Amino acid sequence: MPEDKKQRRSALDPAVADLLKGMQQKQSEAQLPRRERERISRERAKIQARRDQRATYDLPPSIREGLRLLAEELRLPASQLATLALARFLQEYHHGSVDLGKYKQPSRSPRYDWNLVFPDELIASARRKKRD
Amino acid sequence: MIFAFANQKGGVGKTTTAVTLADGLARMKKRTLLVDLDPQGHLALSFGLEKSPGLYRLVCLDEPLSSVVVPVRPNLDLVAGDKQTEKVKRQITLADFRETILSDILASSAYDAVLLDLAPSLDVLHINGLIAADWVVIPTRLDALAVDGVKEILTTMAEIGRNGHSYRGYSILPTFFDRTTRETLLQFEELTRVFGASVWPPVPQDTRVRETAAYGQTLWEYSPRSTSIEGFKDGRQRLGGYRQVLARVLEVLDA
Repeated sequence: MPEDKKQRRSALDPAVADLLKGMQQKQSEAQLPRRERERISRERAKIQARRDQRATYDLPPSIREGLRLLAEELRLPASQLATLALARFLQEYHHGSVDLGKYKQPSRSPRYDWNLVFPDELIASARRKKRD
Repeated sequence: MIFAFANQKGGVGKTTTAVTLADGLARMKKRTLLVDLDPQGHLALSFGLEKSPGLYRLVCLDEPLSSVVVPVRPNLDLVAGDKQTEKVKRQITLADFRETILSDILASSAYDAVLLDLAPSLDVLHINGLIAADWVVIPTRLDALAVDGVKEILTTMAEIGRNGHSYRGYSILPTFFDRTTRETLLQFEELTRVFGASVWPPVPQDTRVRETAAYGQTLWEYSPRSTSIEGFKDGRQRLGGYRQVLARVLEVLDA
């Protein structure tokens, strides 16, 4: 007998729910005092301006943690450290001083030809203890 | 699968919606037939053609479907209409089994999707369209009068249901959607509260829609990046628009 799956269904089409939520939020903002409305509008503009700077990548947890620890130690935003790391990598790659060949393995995915497979020590070393 | 586009209220976007979704389906390689049940005959004009008595020839002169359809785009055929459609109503009224005449004619057609554009009225042809349909799409503006038209169609569908016809479902499609007005929000809230998941993503108000008919082109041809196709921009995502509505129609077709 098939397992009886109980799944809660959304009462609304997802696009309709998102649109409705946005409209209700705007409507309730319209009731706020002018100063409050201006503050929200400034914050929204700030978020929108930053939108192009945001990116999502899958990273090994040790890399993420290593970056977080270093950012804490140096009292810097982690995003800026990630920017520096990526900018230097791209620079070195274009100068020919990074060889991806030693990490490349054929991919079985229809989207990619290759995967990069990193040795464990490279990934593990990213999470180095704080310097004394 | 037969879709009827119905609302007794006029000017709610039935014809534009039927044309846009039919051309959208055809572009997705679905063999699609569009049937004009409105004596105004606007479907032909929407494709840059002259009105013609296709429905009259089909129903009153008993010509086969294959000889009255006009290929208007790849994968898309049209049974056009004109003022002779009024005669169809009169002939149907006098016929036996009059409510199922259209349903019987379309039953053997070999299309993946048949879209019926119903006139804004409640006559025998309208009832024929509703009886032939598996799924009813009810376009509506978000104002009290048009929303009342939604309730009227649903009442008619319920009566038809009591006489033995079963629908696979129905959807309410808000059109001419202007998200900045309070009245839109109130009506939209009410629709979603009452009809829940039967409300499809709305089609934004867009001047481009009015322009397309004048050029005899569909929205996909005239302005494929318009708001009415792509929906409202909300951060990185898009909400509403005919592209999303088409996806919902395909879900119904493939279910």
